[in-house]
Amino acid sequence: MEGLRRRRLGFLEVLAQSVAVLAPTAALVTVPALVVSAGGSLAVPALAAAALLVVLVAWCVRHAARRMAAVGGVYSYCARGLGPVPGVVCGWALVVAYGALAVSSCTGAALYAVALLGRGHHPAAVALGVVVVAAGVGLVTARGVQLSARLVLALEAVSLTLVLVLLGALALRGGTPAGAGPTGAVLVDAVPSPGGAALALLLAVTAFVGFESSSVLGVESRRPLLYVPRAVLWTPVVGGVVLLVGAAAQVVLLRDAPLDVLLSGAPLDGIVRAEAGGPLPALLDAAAAAAFVACTGGSVTALVRVVFSMGREGVLPRSLGVVRERTGTPVRALLVTLPVIALVPAAALLAGAAPRAVLSGAVTVAAFGSLLAYALVSASAPVLLHRIGELTPPALVGGAVASAACAALLVVAAVAGPWAGGQSLALVFAALMVPGLLRVAWLRRHHPERLARAGVYDEPTRRSVLRAGP
Amino acid sequence: MSDRGLTGRQPGAVQNALAVLEAVAHAGAGVSAKEVGELVGLAPATTYRLLNLLVGEEYLVRMPDLRGFALGRKVAGLSGSAPEPRLSRAAREELGRLRGALRVGVHLVVFGPTSLHCADVDPELPLRDPSLLERHLHAGAAGRLLLADQPDWREVHPPSRLVRLTAETAVRPHQLQARLDETAERGWAAQAGEVHDDVACLATPIRGADGALVGAVLLTGPRQRPPLEHLPAARGCAAALEPLLA
Repeated sequence: MEGLRRRRLGFLEVLAQSVAVLAPTAALVTVPALVVSAGGSLAVPALAAAALLVVLVAWCVRHAARRMAAVGGVYSYCARGLGPVPGVVCGWALVVAYGALAVSSCTGAALYAVALLGRGHHPAAVALGVVVVAAGVGLVTARGVQLSARLVLALEAVSLTLVLVLLGALALRGGTPAGAGPTGAVLVDAVPSPGGAALALLLAVTAFVGFESSSVLGVESRRPLLYVPRAVLWTPVVGGVVLLVGAAAQVVLLRDAPLDVLLSGAPLDGIVRAEAGGPLPALLDAAAAAAFVACTGGSVTALVRVVFSMGREGVLPRSLGVVRERTGTPVRALLVTLPVIALVPAAALLAGAAPRAVLSGAVTVAAFGSLLAYALVSASAPVLLHRIGELTPPALVGGAVASAACAALLVVAAVAGPWAGGQSLALVFAALMVPGLLRVAWLRRHHPERLARAGVYDEPTRRSVLRAGP
Repeated sequence: MSDRGLTGRQPGAVQNALAVLEAVAHAGAGVSAKEVGELVGLAPATTYRLLNLLVGEEYLVRMPDLRGFALGRKVAGLSGSAPEPRLSRAAREELGRLRGALRVGVHLVVFGPTSLHCADVDPELPLRDPSLLERHLHAGAAGRLLLADQPDWREVHPPSRLVRLTAETAVRPHQLQARLDETAERGWAAQAGEVHDDVACLATPIRGADGALVGAVLLTGPRQRPPLEHLPAARGCAAALEPLLA
């Protein structure tokens, strides 16, 4: 993988990539309330189960990440394990997932930034904000991976601190219900139906999407076979702990809050605005905006590298594999993907879509893409290990369980999703997968040699092998 | 990273890791994980874990097929300093010719995998302190050739060793990185006032047929700017020395 800045990033910068895309702060602000509305009293257990499932997937990804370093990340692992066709399907699912995540998070960043500036939720203002955020992230990303990784690390640290301080302050104040009427306890303590429990689990998994994204820094990190697996495993573990603590605190707060706050789509905002005056609402907006900007940066970094890797292999047009010499940035892939990320949500907002609907719709599409990719990569890990003669029984069982669980969750969510827009978003995801599938079919017929190159990884160069003799 | 968790209280693990390293060294490049396990007599899961650990630390590398293992570049660093070569008469004559033509110091430096050695110092215009160049790879031009040739210079010369020799010395990692990038791009190294206040130097690499860095022709002069006007002459000398050294 000539052209990228090789071996520059330290462990913290690699970790920041995964943490930013998982975005614990952004997830903390949006996901627990959604899980509570779907899963009632099973909300916290659902989050814990989702964390366990994701950690199991991470453990499978780690097997591959300890053995090969690649720009395509999970896509490359999958292509080397299961072969090129499932590999490219996995890769395209990741392209859809990272793209949708970038759309969702730049909408979120614009939404909270506009609220911070006191402009309400005016769609045109949010649309303008989306374009500004995307352009800013694009400029930073183009300046090189080290700068963007450091910026993302700083933003994520600031926002996580702010939100934890905020939740702590709220918990100390004690929740006092604002006004009469039914409280959130009706929902919070409800026993969910089996469908509701499955939905809660799926929503909980969306909070972890992106934990694997540091795998795309395989070439650019200083010790890829050490840092990447460590970041991939620790991100969901730490993110899960933060999320569980934050969710438990929110459950307590929501139980006492008015029911309509819980149903508003952004209950934490509602609680903060209803109960706490002073700087707290602005604090929440600032923290969420920072987290969403970091998430946009991380998603764009991951998206661009997967597309770049496919361009280098010839799976996508080769011009996408062009690197800007001075900064080592895959600039062509960035220029192709960034306008789509900015213009799709901006157009949807100007056409009258509610900002929160764009945010949650896109994140759902991202969850579908990620689950498909997780199911494939979990299945690929034991196959890869078997091929190189290093398969152990735990790796086989872990891969099979993780893959089956992700596939089952994907099917349940797509077919039996009772939540508004769930099934239609499954159709959106299916439609977005079509170009990738057509491309695979076309390559198989006309250019099987290009397809066979899918999943190139960083081979040891002459310089890394010990020379014989002095 | 300091969080590796090795406390010195796991002698068994260290012994096993060294045994794995030894097995790969004896069996030769391309040995598979299973074969290593059989050679060392460890359980498969333990063998795979140790192999992956050693690959992560880059004492071993995986071969392109991902099945086989070979010794990594880092192993070379264990065996110590640069070799002390016996220079042939032809090589000495070549250096003598350049010394006769230029009015700056002309020296020959040879490189080990992770170190340099001043093999032939100009008797008329000697280096003020050869050991400074050998120890402070970040400051001198020859050391920078070596660092710029590494996949990651920090492994050979950790940032904690970026000592300030003069006010000009690059002591921040990003400053050194910029200078090494420049060196790698143009193929030669130069510095002014970073080792001694009033000395500038220029180093051109001598590479073997496989591109490996074996030595450098180093020009030094008591001045404020590197002797760039002699770059073609130094390059010619390096090219002439290549078959005599590599």
